[in-house]
Amino acid sequence: MTVPPPVPDADRMSFNGTGSSYFDGDNPVPRPVTLTVDRRAGNLEIGLPGSGVETAVWPLRDIRMLGDQPRKQSVMLRSVGDPLARLLLANPDVLPYLPNLRRRAPPKGRGRLAVWATIAVAAVAVQIGILVPLLADSLANYIPRAGERALGEATFSQIREALAETEFAPLALCERPEGRAALQTMIEKLTVPLNLEQPVSVFVLNHEMVNAFALPGGFVVLFRGLIEAAEGPDEVAAVLAHEIGHVVSRDPTRHALRSAGSIGVLGLLFGDFAGGAAVLFLTERLISAQYSQGAELAADKFAFDALENADVSPAAVGDMFERLRAKYGDRDGVVAHFLTHPTLTERIDAARAAATEGAVYEQILTNAEWQQLETICAARSRPD
Amino acid sequence: MTDLTSFPAPPPVPAQGMDIAFVGSRSSLFWLALKTGFLTVLTLGFYRFWMKTRLRRWYWSAIRPGGHPMEYVGDPWEKLLGFFIAVVILTFYIGIVNLILMFVSFSVFNSSWVGYLASFAGVIPIWFYALYRARRYVLGRTRWRGVRFGLEPGAMGYAVRALVHWMATILTLGILWPNMTFQLEKYRTDRTFFGSAKLHQGGHWWMLYRAALPMIFVVLIAGLFALWVMRLDPLTQDMVAFVEDYMENGDEAFLRITGVSNVWRLWLVIPLLLGLLYGAIHYRFASKRILANHKTAEGIAFQSVLSGPRVSVIYILGTFIAYTFLVLGVIVVFGVAAATLGPQVLIETQIGSENPLAGLPRALSFVILAVLYLSVFLMWGVLHNAFVTYPLMRHMALTTSLLDISGLAQISQRARDEFAEAEGFAEALDLGAAI
Repeated sequence: MTVPPPVPDADRMSFNGTGSSYFDGDNPVPRPVTLTVDRRAGNLEIGLPGSGVETAVWPLRDIRMLGDQPRKQSVMLRSVGDPLARLLLANPDVLPYLPNLRRRAPPKGRGRLAVWATIAVAAVAVQIGILVPLLADSLANYIPRAGERALGEATFSQIREALAETEFAPLALCERPEGRAALQTMIEKLTVPLNLEQPVSVFVLNHEMVNAFALPGGFVVLFRGLIEAAEGPDEVAAVLAHEIGHVVSRDPTRHALRSAGSIGVLGLLFGDFAGGAAVLFLTERLISAQYSQGAELAADKFAFDALENADVSPAAVGDMFERLRAKYGDRDGVVAHFLTHPTLTERIDAARAAATEGAVYEQILTNAEWQQLETICAARSRPD
Repeated sequence: MTDLTSFPAPPPVPAQGMDIAFVGSRSSLFWLALKTGFLTVLTLGFYRFWMKTRLRRWYWSAIRPGGHPMEYVGDPWEKLLGFFIAVVILTFYIGIVNLILMFVSFSVFNSSWVGYLASFAGVIPIWFYALYRARRYVLGRTRWRGVRFGLEPGAMGYAVRALVHWMATILTLGILWPNMTFQLEKYRTDRTFFGSAKLHQGGHWWMLYRAALPMIFVVLIAGLFALWVMRLDPLTQDMVAFVEDYMENGDEAFLRITGVSNVWRLWLVIPLLLGLLYGAIHYRFASKRILANHKTAEGIAFQSVLSGPRVSVIYILGTFIAYTFLVLGVIVVFGVAAATLGPQVLIETQIGSENPLAGLPRALSFVILAVLYLSVFLMWGVLHNAFVTYPLMRHMALTTSLLDISGLAQISQRARDEFAEAEGFAEALDLGAAI
């Protein structure tokens, strides 16, 4: 339906405007168009016949195509100079004459974006790195014993259920009375000189893992595998002293409070994208790993003193770590540096150094008691 | 559409209708979603602002009232800026408040559940606030025929109303749900503009009960079923003892059940649940249809002939496809995890003693697992787009039309809604995950 221009002109080319519409950016009424490219002036002339409005002139190099349109045949065009007007093109013939169709606009307000990005990163860092730990550390001291205890109990039974082999009963505790008595002797030797505010409850779980952990409310849990891996009572005492160190500094409680705060903040960052939960979880783990290194070293230090007080060599801590290293391999090297996590080797060295040169230490349990402790899981292990 | 408006007495301006077309194929959307989703995973989530923008651009321009595409002019950079702003504002609130709630929960209630519950409840008002702000942003960045849509400010009022209506709905056991749907939609619609034209939500809230009919029907059947199983012909002679046993010992109670009659009836729970699901979906979309039919502006009227059963089939089938993939994928991830790392790790995760970067070979398997895990979620998102969002959008577009467009000629442009924080709040609070 295009009307050929009256005077043929090599620089002026007409295109089929049938079905194309122009929107002036003010009134939602489509206007039929005639399309002419003036190559000498470098313009697209959009004639608007019958509308009483003069021809719209868009410089060819200013014309952009809207992105991510589902249909390639009819495309929306805009001009950089007029942010509101639109040309819906039904016939793509004219497209080859538009050189910058896909050029992107430079992002606006980059400075402002950078400022806010910095503030956001700083806010999260201050929050997770300073405020939350600070608040967690000070609030942890105000949590009543009963509350802490209940929290620890709940976590403990969750862990026992998670580790259980059957659905019906949680993982069994090792409670052979003679073994418990030996364990009790060990606990008393370690804790009586300390005058602890909070009583320590020690449990042994019937599981082959070589591990131990502390929970809020003074719970210390040893695994059967740890006792089996130990070469003597002193090594078990070393682990016990280390975990008691966590109890005394209330690390588990502070940890629980801190993760409540930092998980909330991290949730904001990773919330709305697929699989974000896993990234959130891993980040939280890494952050707490950063924190726990301080706590681990402090607990080691505590253990050295407690063992020294009980007349046991602090080097036992190192022996136990040696055992762990034999079992699980070393954590030295690139990864350890990346994490700036204290490696086992460093901790072993520290333990060996803590033993007083030339001092004569005793064994924390008699050999008979140690035999009882070694078999604490034997025979009568019953679910509670 | 003209047949419905050709009344005997001719209106002064002959009302002209307009259909809405939907162009664009599922495969082209699939590839766009896959491409942008992949980049999102690759950038640890940062590309999600671009992904969302590009998907919206695609959907918007696929919807073509009168053959002219809608246009989404939202900018990923402004979304990123808005996200930063929201993070700055929310981070202090969420972090500190969560921690204090947890503290109170430990000290006063001796458990962590109260804390979790309270921190969730504390977010609800912000949630509604964010929803309204996000809608305002999206409408403010939507154009048709070069003219902007818009939503007046009013997020605070919306949050307050939403809270009150939810309360009323819960207190009346859901009987006032249609009232909530209607009033909240009216609040939003009455503040919506297209250019200079203001929309108006007409009708009454009780008209939405029609949309709830399938739901009401299923709830009544479920009530009768409960009566049958519990009272008329009880499953077990001693229902009370069984319930107490169940509370105390869980599933074991089923082993001790006495005087059982016709246990097969419990299978009827499955069709009942499906019925409830259908009722919920039907209500959600049929109420949209009824509301659309009562939306007007000066010289503009809408009509929707959306089909409740059709939408439900789309919804259930599409969700089923996406979730089947997700569940299978997660099973594979766990299988691979157990095979490469041993079951030990899953346990260590429980007690929080694992170190994700303990050794390089292990770190490598973690990387592989992470990639696998993220790809599963990526594919889930892509399938959800292709089999739920796409067919729903298309059905809604094709079943909606404008009965009267005589008012369009009088409409003129409205000013741009400068909106620094974009939909940052909604983004940070994990809202509007779909589109």
